Amino acid sequence: MRENKFTETHFRREKRQDSVSSRDAGKSKGDKFLPDRRTFLAGAASLLGTIAVNSCTWQEFFQNNFRRMSKKEIEHTVQRLQAEYKKKYGKEFVVGSEAPLDATLFGYGLDIQRCIGCRRCVYGCVEENNLSRDPQIQYIRVLRFKDGNMDLEQSTIYYDPEEVPEKGYYYMPVQCQHCANAPCTKVCPVQATWTEPDGIVVVDYNWCIGCRYCMAACPYMGRWFNFTDPTIPKDQVNPNTHYLGNRPRMRNVVEKCTFCIQRVRNGVYPKCVEVCPVGARKFGNLLDPNSEISIIIRTKRVFRLKEELNTQPKFYYFFAT
Amino acid sequence: MPRSGFIVETGRRLITGEPIYYFWMTLLAVLAIIGIASYVKQLQVGLIATGMQNYVSWGLYIGNFTFLVGVAAAAVLLIIPAYVYDFGPIKEIVIVGEALAVSALLMCLMFVTADLGRPDRFWHLIPGLGILSLPRSLLAWDIVVLNGYLLLNLAIPGYLLWKAYHDRPVNMRFILPFILLSIPWAVSIHTVTAFIYNGLAARPFWNASILAPRFLASAFCSGPALVILLYQLVRNYTKFHVKDEALFKIAEMIAIAMAINLFLLGAEFFKELYSDTHHLAPLQYLYKGLHGKGMFVPWIWTALAFNVTAFVIFLIPATRKNFATLNLGCVLIIVGIWIEKGMGLIIPGFIPAPLGEVWEYVPTTVEILVSMGIWSIGLLILTVILKIILPIETGEFRKEGPGQGQVHAGLGP
Amino acid sequence: MKGTIGILRLFFPALVLSLIAMFFAWGTGLTRAQSQEQLDTTSEEVGRRSDQEFPVPLTPLPKTITPCRACHGPEKDFPVNFKRREDLLVHKDIKLNHGGARVWCLDCHDPENRDYLLPLSDGKLIPFNKTYLLCGKCHGTKYRDWRNGVHGRRTGHWNGVKSYYLCINCHDPHSPRFKAIEPMPPPRKPWAPKETRAAH
Repeated sequence: MRENKFTETHFRREKRQDSVSSRDAGKSKGDKFLPDRRTFLAGAASLLGTIAVNSCTWQEFFQNNFRRMSKKEIEHTVQRLQAEYKKKYGKEFVVGSEAPLDATLFGYGLDIQRCIGCRRCVYGCVEENNLSRDPQIQYIRVLRFKDGNMDLEQSTIYYDPEEVPEKGYYYMPVQCQHCANAPCTKVCPVQATWTEPDGIVVVDYNWCIGCRYCMAACPYMGRWFNFTDPTIPKDQVNPNTHYLGNRPRMRNVVEKCTFCIQRVRNGVYPKCVEVCPVGARKFGNLLDPNSEISIIIRTKRVFRLKEELNTQPKFYYFFAT
Repeated sequence: MPRSGFIVETGRRLITGEPIYYFWMTLLAVLAIIGIASYVKQLQVGLIATGMQNYVSWGLYIGNFTFLVGVAAAAVLLIIPAYVYDFGPIKEIVIVGEALAVSALLMCLMFVTADLGRPDRFWHLIPGLGILSLPRSLLAWDIVVLNGYLLLNLAIPGYLLWKAYHDRPVNMRFILPFILLSIPWAVSIHTVTAFIYNGLAARPFWNASILAPRFLASAFCSGPALVILLYQLVRNYTKFHVKDEALFKIAEMIAIAMAINLFLLGAEFFKELYSDTHHLAPLQYLYKGLHGKGMFVPWIWTALAFNVTAFVIFLIPATRKNFATLNLGCVLIIVGIWIEKGMGLIIPGFIPAPLGEVWEYVPTTVEILVSMGIWSIGLLILTVILKIILPIETGEFRKEGPGQGQVHAGLGP
Repeated sequence: MKGTIGILRLFFPALVLSLIAMFFAWGTGLTRAQSQEQLDTTSEEVGRRSDQEFPVPLTPLPKTITPCRACHGPEKDFPVNFKRREDLLVHKDIKLNHGGARVWCLDCHDPENRDYLLPLSDGKLIPFNKTYLLCGKCHGTKYRDWRNGVHGRRTGHWNGVKSYYLCINCHDPHSPRFKAIEPMPPPRKPWAPKETRAAH
């Protein structure tokens, strides 16, 4: 085939695994976590200590919700986080706090005529956004449908053929749809998740209490939970982060796609848009009539998922031809 | 000094009792400690110690929470027949129901805390300090109504008992508005809990108007059944008198509630089976199995069998008034409703997942031990409360010494 | 009376003719206005004229056989053979799989000047760094989408200067259909009870 750098990958290919690595096969899940005698004895006494461990530092414990922070507070928090991440990962981190751009409302287009189900977007996102490798979190899930229907129950994300695209199937990646009428932001009891003025639905990881109500509310499996400490190989950590975006998260909080907020607020395309080898992903400013996404909405037949739920997603699927 | 007299006397009462009391408290304490140790393990490792995952993100904890909110609501709703029907025998014993409500509520709060990923950030929920997202978030509403209900259920009996302890008359004009308030409040706590699930358009199994009525109907089954068993225990082990008619009347109410519950279940069945859309999938998973997965099927059919049997037992006067069958019916209904409304409501809400996948859930040992621990703590609290309030009720425990007979520290004759 | 009829005889045809003329003028005027509108809506898309510049990367031509005139130049004096044939003396590595029987080498390459592709209708030859002009002749819808940024890969800035790739940066012009590629690994399945894992 014609060699060009756009179809080859420049990131590591993961070992194909079927089993979940953090548990042993055959063993019941909870057995590993039964309290042993030492824990039993130390349990009652260390309860408070464990809570203290969870909160790490007193500054983190008392940290305010991002939207209520003053500029100075944000600066202090960013400095503290940058120092923490440097200590943990050994790299100079940038934790940005760029504000939304004026007159910007982000929209996303996905050309399902073009998508071949190669999953390069999935792994590009994993690298860019410091997603946990174990337990594995992937914001983008590529559904494979049989030709002739769009029945979600008959779809699969676990297809693993030699080559894609496969005959008789088509592919549709799904990620957070950044709904304008988001059910997830409605239900959060502490307002740890909200919609920014530029349309991105974000999570303040240090404010989330981990109740997972937003995950129950999301119709698109857009939100993911860190059931334990996320693990990122140190050499694959991306140090260019945003406070509301891809900075390394902690356990027991919810996270999600942020349209690569660290990139788009600096005018750059999200990672998934850039790595797609067939150009199936489009991104732009819905308020700009000359942007690709506006032209797509005007000239192509678009649809959105689960329109009947009135979530008003900003993720438009379309057919280029 | 009267105050220390109360405390000292309470302490004395708590540590003296019959052998069965010691055995019961020790058993509960052991289970509670095991539960706490398991919870510590969960804190150390993270929620990965539970069986929950991204597809089924709520499990045993929230199932228990849902069941117990119903118990808490129903225990106090016995007030309604006491006043609507002016049924004396129930009026006398409402206070025990309120004790059950308090311990059920505390268990609810413990279950929610156990389910939280970051309980260290609980202060984010305090309005003013943190952000309590009213009016949009139903969880925020639930926190408000549950805590308010807890306060009501502590304050009202507390006031009545304190007056009884001091042998002073109750000022009904002061306390009656609070008592009357607790009736709609009891309905609201369970309705708000139902609305937590009901409002999620992403989960068609929950997003049905029938959910809130089903919640209330099943709460009216399980709560009073627990109350019947509790009253018999109390009657057996203390000097507290409970008339048989009270128990049979409660059983009658359970029959009506179960009839409504079964009817609503039938209505759900019809709608899903006849319309035959994709929304049938969760119900199919529950009762038949979906795409080869059906771990829950034997459980739910058992629950249905229990519920129907209990319904028949409570319906027929002969079996209702026979204590053997009555108690059997109560146990059947408690287990049946726990399965159907606790687990059988939460888990199928997540199956199939919004994008079509079917992943099942089974609680891990850690979860089971923590749940047992919380139940033990709740029962411990209940026992402690009853150990204090029942002697006040019966007149044994008074400031000036034991009084005469059973003074209605409750809501009057 | 006679004079009036005479005037009427002149008047009516004149009226009819002027009405017809007005109608046509009005009609074409409307059409022109419509097309002007269409022009206006599409002129916001990036250029329609063939001399519009697009910031494309370097043309990926193989170094070994360029410039083409080294062999196909006037000095070499090869006669142009317009007959479609499969085996060429040189360029044996090129497998033509583009348009089946409809398209052959000289349907794209200018026969006289092999350093260029076929000319546009205005006679200007299409250089290799503007292949989109040639491809767009048959694949007009793709060309229009490409101009708007809807077709093809997007990189760089969404709010700045758009980067464009030449058609041939992604599509091999001789065999343009993308080959199937190996997908990246599927996601790990979540933890689930044994029975569920078995059924999946």
